[in-house]
Amino acid sequence: MADALLNQLSLTLSVHTSDVFVAPAMSLADRASRALESGVWGAVLYIVIGLVAVLTAVSVLGLVMSYIERKVAGHFQCRLGPMRVGPHGVLQSLADGIKLLFKEGIEPGHGDKVIFIGAPIFSITATILLLAIVPLAPGIQVVDMNVGVVYIAAVSGLGVMGILMGGWSSNNKWSLLGAMRAGAQMISYEVSLTIALLVVVLFSGTLKVSEIIESQQQGWWIWRGHGVAIVAFCLYVIASTAELNRTPFDLPEGESELTGGYHTEYSGLRFSFFFLAEFANLFVFSALAVTFFFGGWLPFHVGNYEGFNSVMDLLPPVISPMFWFGSKCATLIFILMWFRWTFPRLRMDQLMRLEWKVLLPIGFANLILAATVVLTGLYFFPSAT
Amino acid sequence: MTTTTPVPTETECPPIDFGELKSECVAPRPSIMGQKRGLRSILWLSFKGIVRGLLTTLSYFRRPSTVVTQQYPENRETLEMFERYRGRLSLIHNEEGEHGCTACQICERLCPNASIIITKDKKNEATGKPALDQFIWRQDTCTFCNICVLVCPFDTLEMTGDFESSVYDRRLLVFNLNEYAGPTAGQLDKLEDDELAKAQMKPMKKYQGPVPMCGGEMDGIPKLDVEKPTDV
Repeated sequence: MADALLNQLSLTLSVHTSDVFVAPAMSLADRASRALESGVWGAVLYIVIGLVAVLTAVSVLGLVMSYIERKVAGHFQCRLGPMRVGPHGVLQSLADGIKLLFKEGIEPGHGDKVIFIGAPIFSITATILLLAIVPLAPGIQVVDMNVGVVYIAAVSGLGVMGILMGGWSSNNKWSLLGAMRAGAQMISYEVSLTIALLVVVLFSGTLKVSEIIESQQQGWWIWRGHGVAIVAFCLYVIASTAELNRTPFDLPEGESELTGGYHTEYSGLRFSFFFLAEFANLFVFSALAVTFFFGGWLPFHVGNYEGFNSVMDLLPPVISPMFWFGSKCATLIFILMWFRWTFPRLRMDQLMRLEWKVLLPIGFANLILAATVVLTGLYFFPSAT
Repeated sequence: MTTTTPVPTETECPPIDFGELKSECVAPRPSIMGQKRGLRSILWLSFKGIVRGLLTTLSYFRRPSTVVTQQYPENRETLEMFERYRGRLSLIHNEEGEHGCTACQICERLCPNASIIITKDKKNEATGKPALDQFIWRQDTCTFCNICVLVCPFDTLEMTGDFESSVYDRRLLVFNLNEYAGPTAGQLDKLEDDELAKAQMKPMKKYQGPVPMCGGEMDGIPKLDVEKPTDV
């Protein structure tokens, strides 16, 4: 049994190494599908390698984005933000990270130790699993499964679990209240989020993320969706802001009444896991919005203006998807930060009313409208279908 | 549907005088709450509010000139303190180096924590009027309440923006605020003889007051066994 296992592992590894060093023509997507089909252990190994890569990305993303967030927040409030560590404070988040690394991880006395330790790991795992499906460039995607959207809906709901666990096990009333609020809020807004994504699924006729991007070759869904997609996008932005627990929907960590919310009792590395998960989620949700509504890594094209489109295609094919995906993501992240530092916090009942009485009916009506549009074929650029 | 509230009359809302500033009576802004409004009106108002908020923060973001943060140790040379900042207390001296303190001791009596000690020459030889000898201000006990500045009948005191007052010895926080012991600027002007006026201005040092803590002589500080001023 062990021999067979080792054999399988070495086989997978050799497949990988030979692919990387001998056959560079083979695309990453092909390699991924080959690894996934090479047997259970091959798939496991591939996924582990992929997730470790994603974990690294999460850490770097967390560092970069917390710096950007603080800088942007500063300038929105007539401040400068971090300025001391490195030129314009670029090393600030690194310094913070080192500080958090050396801090003592305090556990509350009568808390549930196992759940307490597990909660931040659970939280960041959910984020990593979600990042696995984000297509960063053609083929650069850990898993491209045929039920991608269902997977997104399922895994994004997993993040609530970590928060609830953290709040429950802290043996602290603020943590518990914060976690309960977070749970109620995230579960509620997930409905709107998924309904907004379903509109695009209706248009593109597929659940596979890479195919959704391919379906936008002739124009992004936000333009082609006849206004329905614009409504869906607005719903998505509002719901994802709530899903990310960011202002104006940051009740779970409302400092004025709940100290720190669900992570009141967390310190050191465990706190930084929650923190990282939060920032990585911010990236993931903007990346998903880009994928579903703004054509993912596709360059910006306008209808049949060949001249303009060829200018947009000037970038070499290696950089182009990275550039377009990155810039679109950055724009969306900036908009979410802009929201955060402009609006005051909502009250809990207002929050729930907004979701169940406003967003959800609009979402359903929008979904029905989208279905009608798809059935009657009222797209823009009908040649695309 | 908006019912405009009339501007309140002067009797309903008496204007408050803040010196240069004056309060103004304005009609309260119509609130969205508690008013019967159509859905479209509410949506429009909310949308307007959201967009206005976003544009406001964006306008700050776009213009780095709006940043108010002072990069302190670096911009020490060009640092501008705010007029209302309460730093070190100072006795105002005019261009000729003459102060306006008549040693009336009102500030001393009203100081809530006895941080001001004034000694005076009861009768100056030249003017025949009381003259200030020492204006001692103890920064170590001062709470910067600004009362001394407010009560001074001659407006001779002011709180300056000087905040860099850290020292390694508390005794260095006892200052002598007057640059000379002698009559006020006005009294000196009345003396016809300039030489006589000059003679009345006995120069004083920054540290010349009694320091309560036991200890010996320090650089620039006289011995600390100065006796407590009797004329208090």
